[in-house]
Amino acid sequence: MLGTGIFALPVARQYGEIMEAFFIWLESGSLSIWVRGETGWHMAFPVIIVFHALGMGFLVGVALAINARVLGIAQGIPITIMRRFLPVALLALVVNAVSGVLLLIGYPTKALTNPVFYVKLGCIGLALWNLKWFHTHILANSVYDTGDMPKKAKRLAIASTVLWVAAIIAGRLLAYTYVKLMSI
Amino acid sequence: MERNPTLQALSDWLESTWLGNAFIDQGYWSWPMAESLHFMGLCMLVGSVGLVDLRMLGMARGIPLSAIHRLIPFGVAGFLLNIMTGSLFVLGDADQYIFNDAFRFKLLFLAVAGINMLTFYSTAFRDAKALGPDADMPLKVKLMAGISLACWIGVITAGRLITFYRP
Repeated sequence: MLGTGIFALPVARQYGEIMEAFFIWLESGSLSIWVRGETGWHMAFPVIIVFHALGMGFLVGVALAINARVLGIAQGIPITIMRRFLPVALLALVVNAVSGVLLLIGYPTKALTNPVFYVKLGCIGLALWNLKWFHTHILANSVYDTGDMPKKAKRLAIASTVLWVAAIIAGRLLAYTYVKLMSI
Repeated sequence: MERNPTLQALSDWLESTWLGNAFIDQGYWSWPMAESLHFMGLCMLVGSVGLVDLRMLGMARGIPLSAIHRLIPFGVAGFLLNIMTGSLFVLGDADQYIFNDAFRFKLLFLAVAGINMLTFYSTAFRDAKALGPDADMPLKVKLMAGISLACWIGVITAGRLITFYRP
């Protein structure tokens, strides 16, 4: 990839060389090698992937349930009590941050040279920001337990759903769109 | 290992079906797109059945079971989405699934989840639904909720491992 496209520019070329040196250093490290299952436990990578899928299910699942309630499904659920599911979402987020970083350490070139990866991170960042907004403005306000949801909340619930769907699509596409697997 | 001829015949037949071929013929992106839908269905299922199970296990007391149960159609939609996309995978590349131990475990977990669900709805749901918003569920209900949650976690785990156990 170096020397072609944007990497033909001197500044970009220099940046590319620095990044490549960084990838080579990271991929040669023992943690990276362990994640890829090349030494010792060959199931490391599949097990990390399983945790990443389970975390996705619970994090996105809780977010989608909140969105559904805000949009008018299951009106009988007092929305302030849905806060009690947030620790589940938080635990799932921690599991996915840890497993995600491990996967990134295993294959840094694969993810970081793929624009789709940044789309995924951007969607997750916005979706989490969105969830935080619901936590502060809706889930903490007992007025909304039985009353109508504000228009803004409904719009943000739709935005949240779209962002999670986009994050999932982008995440799944990472296996199909990478330009370079490894630098070593 | 010698393959069971009956299963081989089944696998060959599945791959010869019109739908399986039509799915593959859609090109490179059909598989990842169906996988993305499969993941969304997974999230819908966990976000409804999973949360109802957690409520029955004692989390988020204050939500009446009858109210949170309204999320179930949403999970059923996710499940149907996954039956459809999952069938496309099996029809499109039956050999990868029929002889795959992870896939067999996935089907086993699905079967146990199904039996558990039928038992729950036929023996315990009506009484549980009538309980108040803060009610602690009877032990029998908690047990079935625990089995349900464990089975769906098993389904996801085995499902995600399928690709690593290709024959």
